[in-house]
This record gives sequence, structure tokens and C-alpha cells, in this order.
Amino acid sequence: MTDGFWWLLLWGTIAGLDLVSAGQVMVGRPLVAGTLAGVLAGDPAAGAMVGVTLELFALELLPVGGARYPDYGPAAVAGAATAAGVPGVLGLGPAVAVALVVGYLGERTVQIVRRGNSADARRNRVGLDAGDPACLRRVHLRGMLRDAIRALLVTVFGLALAEVVRRWLPLDLRGAVLVGTVAVGAAFAVAAAGALRLVGRGGGRAWLAAGLVIGAAWVMAR
Amino acid sequence: MKRGMLATWARTLIVQASWNYDRMVGIGVAYAMEPLLRDLPGGRTNGRYAAALKRVAGFFNAHPYLTGMAAGALARVEYDGVPEAQADRLRRALIGPLGSVGDQLVWAGWLPMSVAVGLIVAVLVSVPAGVVSLLILYNVLHLGLAAGWRAGIGVAGQLAGRVMHGGLRFSAAAAPFAIGVALPLVASWLLADFGGSERLGAGVVGLVGLLLARVLAPTLSGVRLGLLFLGTAILAAWLWR
Repeated sequence: MTDGFWWLLLWGTIAGLDLVSAGQVMVGRPLVAGTLAGVLAGDPAAGAMVGVTLELFALELLPVGGARYPDYGPAAVAGAATAAGVPGVLGLGPAVAVALVVGYLGERTVQIVRRGNSADARRNRVGLDAGDPACLRRVHLRGMLRDAIRALLVTVFGLALAEVVRRWLPLDLRGAVLVGTVAVGAAFAVAAAGALRLVGRGGGRAWLAAGLVIGAAWVMAR
Repeated sequence: MKRGMLATWARTLIVQASWNYDRMVGIGVAYAMEPLLRDLPGGRTNGRYAAALKRVAGFFNAHPYLTGMAAGALARVEYDGVPEAQADRLRRALIGPLGSVGDQLVWAGWLPMSVAVGLIVAVLVSVPAGVVSLLILYNVLHLGLAAGWRAGIGVAGQLAGRVMHGGLRFSAAAAPFAIGVALPLVASWLLADFGGSERLGAGVVGLVGLLLARVLAPTLSGVRLGLLFLGTAILAAWLWR
């Protein structure tokens, strides 16, 4: 079993709930979720690296209204669990692969929860349409329970997948470096595409370009 | 009404728990607003108490952080004895502005800016410092907006006010700028332990991926692009052993 399994399970569930249902204080962002998961799994450096890489994937998200988007909180927890204890950057590629699978599964399960909430609201139409506060409270809190169970199950799946990949993914040194390289390249592709979509065609492009110039100059000056 | 303000603020933090395709955030806003209505004359036996909950628990949509403003405004009209038809018009009128202003200010502005600042601090100082700066910077606005019930019926003035407009203009410029600064710094940090050929490889993958993401959007989302590339790389690495 993964080191710190129960703490990771709890943290993944909290991070999953933060996506929509409770708080939305951004503890479910990959930078936050991955970093703390690395600490819980006994390898803070691996968790930080996975968190930063996944944050680039998450930069493209615009979580408006009923939009569908991956659940990167439990994903980052599973990714950190995959990379923990693997030397250097060798665990990064498999960790990002596991995290993307978990994130995608999270995206699909959010739809199931929303459909469950719709069905619950329809079943309780009489009470809701009468303005019954007890009915209102029950329907609302059941929605949160539904999402907590979803986040828990997604995290369980993620930690199980992490264990399977750590034990049985047959990558040698060269393969691990290749997959890690592709993971970083793909992360930047997604972040750049997201940034371009965010700024659209307006003045935002000039701000983005100015930022890129300053960032590049900063890198060269270091 | 004042007694319920803290409870309403806390409830707006879980306002989307029952989000659904039929009523969207309506049930959550009614749940959040309920403590504000308890002090109506006659309390829960006042006909307006149940009528207000019924109205809001139907279809309602708004940015989740601005639902506090909606709850405050919609509760205020009940205390002021505004006719029900007019209260319902206010409810419907709030849906568009509270959604679009919030999406623009928070999701397209403050959130990406906070994340980019968090990444910059993570790379330049330490990752834990980046985490803390992301959480603090983001939640200053989040928790402040959640306390929007104070606006009451003056919600329209708040949305059209100089502070909100200034926030929108600032975040529209600050978010892309911060992302621009963050990307090269994060690239340098992430690729520090990779060799020259791997850095070149990551650059090529990044460019090809960007091209694909631009051409095939929105079908090829970021997670799908990542899965496609990583699946191919794992297969190639496995065959290459």
C-alpha cells in the first residue's frame, strides 16, 4: 500500500470536494494538492514537481457554470503518490499520465453527480416548490454527500492506479526520461493554448507578450 | 436580518453542492439565503418566507462567489415588502450580470493571475511559499466577494461601481501578464534536471501540441492532448526497451 494511504485518501477527497461543492478555496488546485500530497507520501520534492507540471495543464480551465473540466485535485494526489520515492525526474512522466487519467475520470464523475442532483430535485419538487426549508436543506446536503463519495472513489481509483503503475509499468531509464520529456512538453502546449484562449484577440495579447519577454529575460539573467 | 449574515456567508461557501441542470444554483442560493429570512416579521410563519425560498429555489444562476450579493438583495426586498412580482423581476434580472461579471472577474482574471503568481513564487522562492501565496492572493477576493450580502438591494450599484470596473480592468491585464512571466520561469525550473536533447525534445513536443490544441480546439482538450501524447510516449518507450 502507498505510504500515507489514509492521509492521501482524506486529502484527495477534500481536494475533490473543493472543485465545486465545498469551499472552492483552491486547495484542489494541482500546485496545492500535489505539494501537500508529496509531503504526505514522504517525498515533498516529487509532489512539488508533479503539482507544478499539472498546474500548467490546469491553466487552460475556465470553470464557468456547467462547463466540464477535469478534477485535478485527486489527480494531483494520485500523481504525487506515483512519483514518490522515484529518483529525480524519472517518476514525472508516469505520474502525469496517472494524474491525467484520474483527472479525466473525475470530469466524467462530476456529470454523474450533477445528474443525480437533478433527479433528487425532481423527486423533491413538491417540497422545493412549497419553499419548505427542511426539504431544501436535505436536497442541498445530499448533493454535497454525493460529491464527497465521488471524490473519495476517484481518489481510491487514483491511488490504486498509482500502485499498479509503480509496480508494473515496464519503463527503463531511457523510457522514463522520454515519457517525462513528453509530459513537460505537453504541459507547456496546454498552458500556452490556454493562455492564448484566455486573452482572445484583445489587448490581453500585448500583456501576455510583455510578460513572456520579462519572464525570458529573468531566466537568462539568473 | 443581521443575525443570519454570518450563517449566510458560511452557506455561500457550499452554494454549489446541489448544482444541477434543472435549477442550476437555485437550491444552493435559497439554502444560503434562508437564515436572512428568519427575522422577517412573523418569522417562518410569514407567507413571504416560504414564497421567497420557493422563488429562489427554482431556476437561478450566478457566479458562486456573487451568490452572497444575490442572497442579500433578494432577502432585502422581502423586508422592504416589495411586491412579489417585482421581487421576481429582480431575481431574473440578477442572473445575467452576476454570472458574467463573476466569470470575467474571477475565472478569467483573478484565478489565473493568482495561479501564475503562485507558480512564480514557487519557482523563485520555494514551492510551499508558492502554495501559500496562491491561496492568500486568491482568497482575499473570494472571501471578500462572498460577503457581498452587505450590498442588499444596492447590488446593481455594486456591480456597476468603480471598484468592480477597476477590478475587471486590472485582472484582464494582470492575468495574461503574470502567466507570461510564469511560463519561461517554470520551463527553466522544470527542465533544470533534463539534458540538452530532452529540453529540445520538450520544446518540439510543446510546439506540436500547441499547434494541435489550437487547430483541434475544443475537441482536443488539454487532458485529452496530454493523454494522447503520454500514451504514445509510454507505448514507444515500452517498444523501445
